[in-house]
Amino acid sequence: MTGRAKLIGQVAALACVAGLLALLVWKLAHQRHAPPVGSAAPAFTLPLLDGPGSVSLTSLRGHPVVLNFWASWCLPCKAEARVLERDWKRYGSRGVQFVGVDSDDLSSEARRFVTAHRLTFPMLDDGPGGVKGSYGISQVPETYVLDAKGKIVAHLAGPITDEGLASQFQAALKEVA
Amino acid sequence: MIVRLLAVMAAALALAGPAAACAHPRTSLAALEGQVMCPVCHTTLDQSNSQAAQQIKTFIAQRIAKCWTAQQIETALVANYGQAILAEPSHKGFDLLAWWLPIVGVLVGAIVLAFGVWRWSRRQGDEPPPAEESGLDDETERKIDELLAGME
Repeated sequence: MTGRAKLIGQVAALACVAGLLALLVWKLAHQRHAPPVGSAAPAFTLPLLDGPGSVSLTSLRGHPVVLNFWASWCLPCKAEARVLERDWKRYGSRGVQFVGVDSDDLSSEARRFVTAHRLTFPMLDDGPGGVKGSYGISQVPETYVLDAKGKIVAHLAGPITDEGLASQFQAALKEVA
Repeated sequence: MIVRLLAVMAAALALAGPAAACAHPRTSLAALEGQVMCPVCHTTLDQSNSQAAQQIKTFIAQRIAKCWTAQQIETALVANYGQAILAEPSHKGFDLLAWWLPIVGVLVGAIVLAFGVWRWSRRQGDEPPPAEESGLDDETERKIDELLAGME
């Protein structure tokens, strides 16, 4: 092989390795992690699950927000629904806005879930889970509690019916309400 | 798990009656299970028994019973979950890269390999045969040379 052809081959091989390395770095850099408590909650706008219109997080500024990520196939979400609706009725009158975010789900099943559990707070359709990803949600249900300025006060990674998380959730609600 | 499987089968059986007469060949759950991903476990439906996968299997079984085509079912699933719900990338736009890149890679690899073999075989033909080794050390060879010189 001539020196020139050899050099071209070496440069091409090096370019391939550099490309693969760049892909790895890009993947690592774009891994989504849960935003830490104390930071600003990632902004989003999502369509309502049960009709026309959408809700943006910024439009809720001035109100504490409970952001609950769920899906109709998720068994713990069913047990949690009753608690969320009870607390929505209790704290909604004090200005706390509850919002449900449904991801990776069949919209028809999600609407059926809302009706079956008589949930009355706004439910948003996150489709393939873009917002779920920006909140670093790995498994539903997960719940974020935000203060009136949009800062994360609590992140509950699991059903709020669990013993430990239930007390954390109630404490966060009392803090922001 | 058995309960879930029974639920899927029951849904399929319950709806099988009215769908007996389809205008086109009916697709099957088994055929679609390998083409649809579970959105939370990132495997195909046939390899997953998660709640999300079970829900999609039931959805597919119900649509098959209603005479939906595989294409209609896939379109409905993409509308809910996005393109990533399909195991295979689409045949248009950027997704085409996923189909063509491996073929281009194999072709380029074959060309490079063929070129390398051709160059190597040419070099082998051009090279002069290696000099025969006498098997004697330098000292012996020197002595033989001296003897031969003395005989001349």
